Amino acid sequence: MVTTPLADDHADLTDTLVVRRYFAKMDRIMGHLGRVTTEMEGQGQLSRLESRVLKGYVGRLSATLSALSLKYMMTGRVEGPVPGHPTFDRHESGFPIAQELMVMANDAVQAEAHLSGMASETELKDRMVREIVGGLSIPSKLQYALSQRLYYERLAELALPTVNGLFLARNDPDAQWISEDRGRRRYLLHWAVYDHQINLPVIYLMEVDDSGHDPLPRSNTRWPAVRAHLMAQSLSGLKLLTIATGFDADFADLHPKRLRRIHLGPMYSHSYTLQSGPISDVLANANAPAGEDWALVWTVEDLISDRVEEVKAGWFSTVERQIFTLDPFGGRGAETGATRTERMIILPERPFQVLAEMNPPGFGDVRKFVVGTGGQLISQR
Amino acid sequence: MADFETQIRESQEQVAAAQAKIADITGRIETARAKIDQGEPAIDIENATLEDVHKHTDLMNANIAELIMGLDDVTAGFSKDFDEMRSKTGMESVIGFFSSAKSESMRQERLRGASIDDKLQDLIGKSDVIVKLLQGQLDVLTTQRTRVEGNLTGTLEEREATVSALEAVRAEVAAMDPKIIELENKISVEQDAAARTKLETELAALNTRFNALVQDEQVKLAKSQTLERYIEKGKTWVDSLQNQAATQMVLINKLQTDTKQRVVLYDALTASLKTAQQQDVAHRINEIGVKTDQEAQSAMAGIGAATNQRMADMLEAHEDHMVFARQILEQKAKADERFARRFAKIVEKHDKNEYGA
Repeated sequence: MVTTPLADDHADLTDTLVVRRYFAKMDRIMGHLGRVTTEMEGQGQLSRLESRVLKGYVGRLSATLSALSLKYMMTGRVEGPVPGHPTFDRHESGFPIAQELMVMANDAVQAEAHLSGMASETELKDRMVREIVGGLSIPSKLQYALSQRLYYERLAELALPTVNGLFLARNDPDAQWISEDRGRRRYLLHWAVYDHQINLPVIYLMEVDDSGHDPLPRSNTRWPAVRAHLMAQSLSGLKLLTIATGFDADFADLHPKRLRRIHLGPMYSHSYTLQSGPISDVLANANAPAGEDWALVWTVEDLISDRVEEVKAGWFSTVERQIFTLDPFGGRGAETGATRTERMIILPERPFQVLAEMNPPGFGDVRKFVVGTGGQLISQR
Repeated sequence: MADFETQIRESQEQVAAAQAKIADITGRIETARAKIDQGEPAIDIENATLEDVHKHTDLMNANIAELIMGLDDVTAGFSKDFDEMRSKTGMESVIGFFSSAKSESMRQERLRGASIDDKLQDLIGKSDVIVKLLQGQLDVLTTQRTRVEGNLTGTLEEREATVSALEAVRAEVAAMDPKIIELENKISVEQDAAARTKLETELAALNTRFNALVQDEQVKLAKSQTLERYIEKGKTWVDSLQNQAATQMVLINKLQTDTKQRVVLYDALTASLKTAQQQDVAHRINEIGVKTDQEAQSAMAGIGAATNQRMADMLEAHEDHMVFARQILEQKAKADERFARRFAKIVEKHDKNEYGA
């Protein structure tokens, strides 16, 4: 068998209750992310359009996770290898591994075929009642069949092109028109990937000036190439500067003005994930009950174009080349390849209390969003 | 990949055939059971048929194993991609003859656009197809096994009942023997005709009962033997089904693990190939035209940093000095104290003239 140490931090969840608690936790966290976006919009860090785009991705992520929770509803209750168990990355991620999403994409394509061969929900329930009353036994097999039916139904519903509600391993770029100025159109390109290396959802927002002949989203020659290029460049290992300069160099009439990358995660939890450093102590000391034992880090990297220079391309023509602002005095700019990097942490009251008491170094400049009882969000510096 | 498709179809057919055969055998076992219930001792699951099924499933498993190996063809496609990322294309080499910078930038551009995501998806999809195939087979095996097992449990109970009935009949037969002998003895000594006739009638009745019981014993014995043979066959079948299920589980497990590991590995390799070759270049490009002021900036930053460093060093050194000085003072104080104590004793001795005491 092929084995690589790269998958060492992948952990299987095999117990029914553990699996359900995991998905319930993720569901709750996803619910808070939408509020965080609203909060950031209120503070002027995101425009209305960007906030809407982000919420779209968060909603899709949430739908994907809830579909997975249906798929693995009966884990540990039915024997055999195929109901299977969810695998998640327990180190610096806390999210399901990327392969789960890739398998789900395959399932979504075949959802209709699966559904056509399955008994309907009422029929399954009817048979369950019969087995309970007649056979005096727990209808695990039927429950499993129903969970799969619900899973495929959800997938079929979400995968419709009009809904497009699944967060897949790759979510191809989409363009939103922002403004037009002297023949130059400005678009917000947004796309998202589920990074295979770190197993985290990553959202990209790029503001780009289009000096081309026809509008970018309707250009048959440029748009497909742009999409393919951006998808192939969406690796967490690449710095923003690398992505932006590469894009600038490969498309002469597109000028990236601002590129943002948002990592949604990692999610830390004392009972699920392995972590080192202060956050580990904070969660351990919080001793929080189920449902409050988590902290989600949200990182925004931002790269802004500083100015434009004309560079010769060949003998007779010149092209614009963006020079991006790196912050040499920040001491970290050149290293991160971004103009600035902001980290935020979202956590429930109890872990926050411990965090505030322990006041570990390194958390001073991290924005904290505290989730209070009833779900309201308090922003703390 | 037409080859893979054909292989899949072939395997699907074989799986279907094997499943039909397996269901057929289970069906026969069940019919045999029904026939036994009706009193027809007919067993027609011969070893030959079982052998046939075994041969067929072996063939099928070999085919599926080949299919799993066949995924290597898919993976071979990856290594081609990786090679392409590492090396230059023909065109790039030709251009590189004239301008190595242009050739390198072409390669960078190609590398930026390279992606193996669709191939990974393909790998996962294909392995998923095989897993589904294996799972289908496993499901059939499991349901058949439960059916035969249930059947077998019933049969075992029935055989137990049959055997105990047989024992009862035998006991009764054994108990009748002395009665018959006693009656025969009575008849041989009886003089009175009427009494003798009565005894003979009794004997005849007893004999009839005896014969009936013996016949019953034979029937019961035959049934018990039939059931025994049936149980043996059933056991063999359950055993075989269990072995087959184990094989399927091993295949599924291997396939799933392999695919998981491969996806991670290939992805990591692509990412590292792309990142290593691009990061450096990007930073160089960004510095076109800004070199001068950036240098100035970094020099300034450098000066600032150096000043800070010096300050920090000084402060730290000062702290060290202070600590050192304090340590010395403390030590001196202790030494003074010790001295004072020792000295005090000497003075006391001296004052009281107690030397050597």
